[in-house]
Amino acid sequence: MSSVQNIQEGRSRPSFPFGFLRRATPGAGSPAILALLMTPGIIIVAAFFLIPLALVAMRVADGPDGWATYFVILTNGRYFASLVQTLLMSAGVTLTALILCGVCGLFLVRNRFAGRNMLMALLTLPLSFPGTVVGFMVIMLAGRQGVIGSVTDALFDEKLVFAYEISGLFIGYLYFSIPRVILAVMASAEKLDPQLEEAARSLGAPTWRVIKDVILPGLMPGLVSSGAICFATAMGAFGTAFTLATDIDVLPMVIYTEFTRNANVAVAAALSIALGAMTWAVLFAVRCFVGSSADTAARGGA
Amino acid sequence: MSTQIRLRDCAKTFGDGTRALAPFDLTIEGGETIVLLGPSGCGKTTILRMIAGLEFPDKGGVITFDGDDVTHQSIEKRRVGMVFQSYALFPNMTVAQNVAYGLKVHGVSREESDARVKDMLEMMHIEMLADRRIDQLSGGQRQRVALARAIAVQPRVLLLDEPLTALDAKLRVRLRTEINALLRKLGITAVYVTHDQEEAMALGDRIVVMQKGEIAQIGTPREIYRKPQNPFVADFVGAANRLDGQMRDGRLHIGTHVFDAVDAFDPRHGAIIDQGPVELFFRADGLSTCDAARAHVTGRVEAVSYLGERLRLTVSGIGAQAVIVDTHADDVIAPGADVHCQINPDRLTVFPVGAGAGNSAANQSAHAVS
Ligand SMILES: Nc1ncnc2c1ncn2[C@@H]1O[C@H](COP(=O)(O)OP(=O)(O)OP(=O)(O)O)[C@@H](O)[C@H]1O
Ligand SMILES: [Mg+2]
Repeated sequence: MSSVQNIQEGRSRPSFPFGFLRRATPGAGSPAILALLMTPGIIIVAAFFLIPLALVAMRVADGPDGWATYFVILTNGRYFASLVQTLLMSAGVTLTALILCGVCGLFLVRNRFAGRNMLMALLTLPLSFPGTVVGFMVIMLAGRQGVIGSVTDALFDEKLVFAYEISGLFIGYLYFSIPRVILAVMASAEKLDPQLEEAARSLGAPTWRVIKDVILPGLMPGLVSSGAICFATAMGAFGTAFTLATDIDVLPMVIYTEFTRNANVAVAAALSIALGAMTWAVLFAVRCFVGSSADTAARGGA
Repeated sequence: MSTQIRLRDCAKTFGDGTRALAPFDLTIEGGETIVLLGPSGCGKTTILRMIAGLEFPDKGGVITFDGDDVTHQSIEKRRVGMVFQSYALFPNMTVAQNVAYGLKVHGVSREESDARVKDMLEMMHIEMLADRRIDQLSGGQRQRVALARAIAVQPRVLLLDEPLTALDAKLRVRLRTEINALLRKLGITAVYVTHDQEEAMALGDRIVVMQKGEIAQIGTPREIYRKPQNPFVADFVGAANRLDGQMRDGRLHIGTHVFDAVDAFDPRHGAIIDQGPVELFFRADGLSTCDAARAHVTGRVEAVSYLGERLRLTVSGIGAQAVIVDTHADDVIAPGADVHCQINPDRLTVFPVGAGAGNSAANQSAHAVS
């Protein structure tokens, strides 16, 4: 009987999504004070985000097609292709970066070897580079005078040049994303409890199962958050694309061209809103999916 | 049915050169509960991990389960159940899923697994927690889940590394009793690591006392408690009082007093000590208070603590260090008072001076390999 008592002391926590709000000191917890404290944040969000966003959204109506401009960007082949291309490239960059950095980050956390610190410093070096510098480096690598070009020229008599197209941009964005993702992965990997893996193995789990059931779930928060940043950056980045070529059809470049060259403000505005909305939608979907898959994993046990 | 574990010539040197374990032999009989007891850093966890397959002995060491050589087998293949101090429950799964995990890995059918999980949860009295998430459990509940998860796959051996250390004292005692009953019921071979002497006594069929990477003594709880084979074990199992004496012609001299019929056994040589300086180890019951006329020794009370059923005195002036003496709870004694004591010679454990612990490993092995 006594053991039953102990079991019932187990508290069930209500799942209050804004728990962080309640962790404040008792005085700061009252709604009035909280609202007061949030005012500066609300003002900044309104002044620098909501108002300009609304203005941009409204500018669409000034164009020749009026509100239908939103529809035009979906039916016009060039704009739509650009939308799809940007989306695919960003997703590709994100996935590649997550896989590469997932493996490397785990390795770096788990192993101590000579030159490890050097390697980490090198990997995180691009953190401070602006997109233009990254673009410049891609040209040095894969441009007309690039290293890859001269090597392939010497070996196969054919110059491999891909800096000025979407694959060059892909390489640039990947390079740009690696430090951010790898740092996030390493932070999560350090928090993994080695005994969880040992427990799984003692229950007979082979390596792939340990990765799937213990390591990946442990890394998931870091992967999701850094993947989100990586994706959003790739969707909106401009400097690298601008340095590589002005005719790469990613969305930020198209917006720039419409806005400055063609003075097509309405289309530029519509594309901007579409870019924002799409990025947001993808991130939202990922969050829902990862959240619910973690949930089903927790409930269904499939 | 239950698995016998044998470790032969197992030593462990870590990659950085740390010698965690000197070569030792140990046989754990099928169905036996062995407790590894010793202070921090003495190598208990290392032995447990070697049995589990998480560490491998240095070259020359051999580990067998029921005669099968498992020395180079990895943990996934050994069928060992593990319970950790930190519980190590999968946070992304519910209680039931944690318990079912090993069954899932082994490809047990859904119906069978569900039934087994239900049995396990009932056995651990946590059936109402089946759908809880791990972060919604108390420490005691978590450890029950960890136990259920470990035994659900019917392992050959159950390995527990300080499973109760993170819990409060009362819960520790209760869970200890439950674990004891569980181990008897399952009849599974179990190795239990602890640094708590009381826990070791309560759970172990035999206790392995360890010191600095060596086995200091193996024996039943009674043997360890009553017949510690060296000062280290004596000290570690609570006989922390120490006096000096002399053996002359088989009789024990303490100060001016002479005692007959004292078992003075030198574990190093397996011989009776006849002559020479000796150290005497004893618990609080080795001395009892008396009146001045019958006193063997007299000291000064340094501190008094009230333990309810008795009064515990810290007394200086009897041995080189202060000794602990118990007296009636109703006695009125203040620090600074003189206290007269009688020596109870049958409560003394006698060692020749310099019988440091751990140097009797060869002797131990003979005991261990039964
Ligand atoms: N991976 C390792 N590398 C190097 N030395 C280690 C390693 N693991 C343990 N040791 C050392 O081996 C010795 C025995 O360690 P072990 O963990 O077995 O002790 P323990 O008896 O379990 O102690 P505790 O009661 O504190 O858990 C210690 O000196 C420890 O520092
Ligand atoms: Mg330990």
